[in-house]
Amino acid sequence: MNFELTEEQQLIADSIERFVADNYDLESRTAIVAKGGFSEDYWKQMAELGWLGMPFSEEDGGFGGNQIDTMVMMEQFGKGLVLEPFLASVVLGAGALKRAGSAEQKAAWLPSVIDGTKQLALAYMEAESGDEPHNVTVSGTPTGDGFKINGIKCMVLHGGSADAFVVSFRTSGGTVDESGITLALIPADRDGITVHGYPTVDGLQSSEIKFDGVEVSQDDILGEVGEGFAALNAAINDGILAIAAEAVGAMEVLYKDTVAYTQEREQFDHPMSDFQVLQHRMVDMFVEYEQSKSMLFRATMEVASGGEDAQRNVHALKHLIGKAAFFVGENAVQTHGGMGVTEELRVGHYFKRLIVIEAQFGNTDYHLERFAA
Amino acid sequence: MDIELTKEDLEFEAEVKAFLEENAYKDGDAEKWRMGWFEKAREKGGWDVPKWPVKFGGPGWTPNQHYVWQRATASASTPWDLPFGLSMLAPVLMAYGSEEQQERFLPDIRARKVNWCQGYSEPGAGSDLASLKTKAELSEDGTYYTVNGQKIWTTMAHIADWIFCLTRTSSDGIKQEGITFLLFPMKQDGVEIKPIITLGGSHTVNSVFFTDVKVPVENRVGEEGKGWTYAKGLLEHERSGIAGISNSIVALEGLKEKARGVKRGNGSLMDVPSFKSKIAALEVDLMAVEYTELRSLATASAGAAPGPESSILKLKGTEIQQRIQKLTMEAGGQFSAAWAGFNSGPDFARGGTGGYMNSRYYTIYGGASEVQKDIITKKVLGIKSSK
Repeated sequence: MNFELTEEQQLIADSIERFVADNYDLESRTAIVAKGGFSEDYWKQMAELGWLGMPFSEEDGGFGGNQIDTMVMMEQFGKGLVLEPFLASVVLGAGALKRAGSAEQKAAWLPSVIDGTKQLALAYMEAESGDEPHNVTVSGTPTGDGFKINGIKCMVLHGGSADAFVVSFRTSGGTVDESGITLALIPADRDGITVHGYPTVDGLQSSEIKFDGVEVSQDDILGEVGEGFAALNAAINDGILAIAAEAVGAMEVLYKDTVAYTQEREQFDHPMSDFQVLQHRMVDMFVEYEQSKSMLFRATMEVASGGEDAQRNVHALKHLIGKAAFFVGENAVQTHGGMGVTEELRVGHYFKRLIVIEAQFGNTDYHLERFAA
Repeated sequence: MDIELTKEDLEFEAEVKAFLEENAYKDGDAEKWRMGWFEKAREKGGWDVPKWPVKFGGPGWTPNQHYVWQRATASASTPWDLPFGLSMLAPVLMAYGSEEQQERFLPDIRARKVNWCQGYSEPGAGSDLASLKTKAELSEDGTYYTVNGQKIWTTMAHIADWIFCLTRTSSDGIKQEGITFLLFPMKQDGVEIKPIITLGGSHTVNSVFFTDVKVPVENRVGEEGKGWTYAKGLLEHERSGIAGISNSIVALEGLKEKARGVKRGNGSLMDVPSFKSKIAALEVDLMAVEYTELRSLATASAGAAPGPESSILKLKGTEIQQRIQKLTMEAGGQFSAAWAGFNSGPDFARGGTGGYMNSRYYTIYGGASEVQKDIITKKVLGIKSSK
């Protein structure tokens, strides 16, 4: 049994921690959000430092890391609420491509994902798909060589800046069947695609993408026709592990900020931290954070080692993280009083990111239901 | 014990509903409609000031009538109104103000001509409100005070004409003593307002700075140094108002309607057991708190001031409002994260996270939940120390 990070993992964690400390104070982050999106400079730095290549095999041009390495990185990103599209492009878009793509398809895209010159996005969610990634109505109608795609994909993370989309669409079966879902990698400038980007409450960017008779050929299809769900689901599981790690980083900031604030602020002639009701509340926040971290380790190791119980662990993790995120976030805000509800302190910003994470890839209730099923 | 509506109550209910329907906003100048609405309510016999005593023009309703009115207005088209003058300052003036002050301020409050704001919290005086430091110094000739200091979380200060303000006139003795209750105009030199943007992206609260603001002594309510006593009574009125039970009942119905419109499988979100049971649990709590409010209403109508039960209402009422916001956000799913702009999610989802974030404020302002619990600890459970 060993929960220690490897030397490489510790190095990259330290290096991201420094990057966050140097670049991601609230004021700098707010300036990036105001400009709409993320910092091209930071993105370039991340690529140069090799961070974008971490979770890819050496044949694919990466460093041969796995979900545990991504976890180490995302936890640090979470401490700074980093805005760059690591999750969208590296974990999700390229995560689906690396699993389902052919050697040629991977060679065409992964090197530029890893060097940061190109971004991918994963377009899987729809207006009425709820929390189910297998609920797909965007349709692929057979043509001579491939399919014509019609429909709308929603809440596509960083779709506005992506160079290409990994898109799920239905080529057979009923609306909620896992079989009959096909994946294709489609350049963003292909005829018939309209992208509407918009900001989300956590400072990130999302988008809605309309496919109006978009032609895809055999060269665009990732893997077998009708067999795309496994790769899609695996990419989403990676996404869940990644945002859970981000949430753990954010929760650490929240509980520590709260402890510090109650020691500084005096009410009723005492530091607030003298009041037992607040002491016990902060202990509860800390316990939730530690429990989240344990569940994160458990699920990440289970997935990374290809364990039989991996999927169930992912459901358990997403459920537990969602509950903890609200508990820690609400209590951090409440304990900071009025200041906690303003844009001026960072606690509210961390809570907003946690709120979005709770709903992403299926919410707390959904994953408990899947866990129990 | 009997809460059946009598024949007279039912007739009253029909009359209220007819009034609300007849005077609902249709089109045209909204402000003109608003002023007209209050005028017509006044002509009904004090319906513009339901909670004011008969002596000051109120309707003198029974608890049942108040209940009927609250329920009916919560779901009707009624004009916007602010509680600060009407429900918070007015009772203080009626109880502690001079006759001259009552004649000077109450008519404009009633006519909605003057908007008031509340100068209570300060950066260093939140839950511990009595530690406030905004200083009011009496001039040597005893004719005016000079006010210096800062207030924070001042709701609607940016549209207010006047402020009722707690100031410190003495630092001797315990801090609850030496607080004086002053009234003065907001639109004058020496009053500076800075907006505070909340996490939901909206501007309702402000920081307000006072630099050498001169306030004539005739604008002092009651005695110098007794302001805390007056303010405490006022906070009880504020708490009952913040609970917003009737609005929550309407909001919960609205939430169910929204959830029924969100497709899940072959049905709607309201068919998803986990969501449905959260809605049901919320409804049960709301049913109980509605009766807690009625019990408090009955006490108040029997002539007693709102007491510690207003702390229960504030605690539970705000928690329920937050749960409604949270479930609304949840019903919007991932789409609630979108600030605005183009997306195919349900219409109500847009800004859903903002509504929830702003609702976190409900358990903080008007005396945080922790403060309400301290009040109940001391006043109801009779426990003296609560460190």
